[in-house]
Amino acid sequence: MVQRLQLEWMKMKNYRAFWILMSLYLVSIAGVNYITFRAFQEALASQQAKNMAQMVMGHLPYSFPMVWQMTAFVSSFMLFIPGLVVIMSVTNEYSYKTHRQNIIDGWTRRDFIVSKMLLAIALSVLSTITVTITAAAFGFAEGSEAFSLEKFVFVGYFFLQALSYIMVALLIAVLVKRGGLAIGIYFMYTVVIENVIKSIMNYYLNNAGRFMPLQSTDELIPTPVLENLKIPMLPAPDYTTLTIVALIYLAAYFVLTAYKFEKDDL
Amino acid sequence: MAILTVDRLHKNYGRIQALKDVSFSVPQGTVYGILGPNGSGKTTLLGIIMDVLKASSGTYQLFDEAPTHLHRRQIGTLLETPNFYHYLNAVQNLKIAATIKKRGHEDIDHVLKLVNLYERKHSRFSTYSLGMKQRLAIASSLLGNPDVLVFDEPTNGLDPVGIAEIRELIKKLNQQGKTIIMASHLLDEVEKVCTHVAILQKGSLITHGHVDEILVTEDVVEAGAMDLPLLQTTLQQFPGVLHTKMNGQHVELFFAPNTALLESVNRFCFDKGITLSHLRLRKKSLETKFFELTQNNK
Repeated sequence: MVQRLQLEWMKMKNYRAFWILMSLYLVSIAGVNYITFRAFQEALASQQAKNMAQMVMGHLPYSFPMVWQMTAFVSSFMLFIPGLVVIMSVTNEYSYKTHRQNIIDGWTRRDFIVSKMLLAIALSVLSTITVTITAAAFGFAEGSEAFSLEKFVFVGYFFLQALSYIMVALLIAVLVKRGGLAIGIYFMYTVVIENVIKSIMNYYLNNAGRFMPLQSTDELIPTPVLENLKIPMLPAPDYTTLTIVALIYLAAYFVLTAYKFEKDDL
Repeated sequence: MAILTVDRLHKNYGRIQALKDVSFSVPQGTVYGILGPNGSGKTTLLGIIMDVLKASSGTYQLFDEAPTHLHRRQIGTLLETPNFYHYLNAVQNLKIAATIKKRGHEDIDHVLKLVNLYERKHSRFSTYSLGMKQRLAIASSLLGNPDVLVFDEPTNGLDPVGIAEIRELIKKLNQQGKTIIMASHLLDEVEKVCTHVAILQKGSLITHGHVDEILVTEDVVEAGAMDLPLLQTTLQQFPGVLHTKMNGQHVELFFAPNTALLESVNRFCFDKGITLSHLRLRKKSLETKFFELTQNNK
């Protein structure tokens, strides 16, 4: 296991695009949270607005314990970046035919695909650590409430969400093999296709759209403000069901990716 | 011990049959050439043996055992094209290969020197010429000094000096007792370096065996005189001639390898009252031989 991850590291550590994307990713998480943080600070400048917000949401958005959910929610919009990293890593292998060479040199097909899955897991862990640090930093900076782990479960949900987004990227990369096409399909699916299907399903099938693959993980971290307004149209998220659904999808991504890579001509 | 045994391999790409019922065996210590024109299935065959392609049916064995990745670690392979990470240099690329093969990294400088890439070892792969890429692939296959080497078109993209060097290297490796399986569409390359050959055409194995038995080339004598039909009928009686053929300006006589003597042909004709205006010995070209072999099996 360690050797597979080590080899993946040997492939990535001298790859400039990897470092550029990863730096962008970490900066974006901090940046997008800072922008939201500042926007709330300005919107809630008056004591009256603060009281209103506290009444509606229970807490101010970037104060403990709300900050865990807030940061996880805002950061999730950046998850396409580690998805891109995985797509690049896999489609590079296809275009250099190094996926073949790794196997010719004595890896099993499973060794290879597991090394890519380990990359996906490592990126999800890294994302989660970054979100944890960012959330704690903003929570302390905001400073209106004492440190609390009450809503820390959202950081756990964020890990599930990150792994799902990255594994979908891996699955698409293994299925289509070509970099440009994989990136195109990934964006089309995550940004447009799933949302269209979700809306249609929500409309005709009694809100079943929330069980779409990536939507099920999005639902785990609801928009912090709207959630507390309790819009009557939206059913309250059932976290247990959503978590189970998300885990089933995750298992499917792992199985399909491995199956495709192990059975096909390379 | 057989290094490789292939048993009734079939491979279809959709409706295209890339391999049809191919069976043969590679004995230890040989240089085994797999000869065939482009698209005859050479790379498909080697791809199946290396588990990057899946056979439609049939089996193969490595070292007389059911094949696993552990066997592949003992075989140095160059398949089709040099496959390396473009953004890494030679040493970084070979470190990845060595790690997978579970070999130490101390071999890297040695194999780079063997293929004359040592001076460029810190240049990125993407800056290499085609010949240098090919040489890096050969270097990679030599990592850990494996006993079996598989080369798919090893001299592809090399200049004449490079080609000669690689052929020398292959012969040298064979003298050290290594088994080499080599696919090539170059007939004279196979003739120069291989001890055994299997000939593939359109996915079918036409023939296989010892090079001396399969690529024997008859001696051909060209003779010319005023009266060609008379010359032909006369020469049909010449002892040792296998058959004769009229070919434009002269008659061609076919002899078993290394048995044609021009002097006796000349004297024979003179004794029969025919004065020759043209007499020449030529070796039948390998290409002609190859066409013959492949034409008969359409």
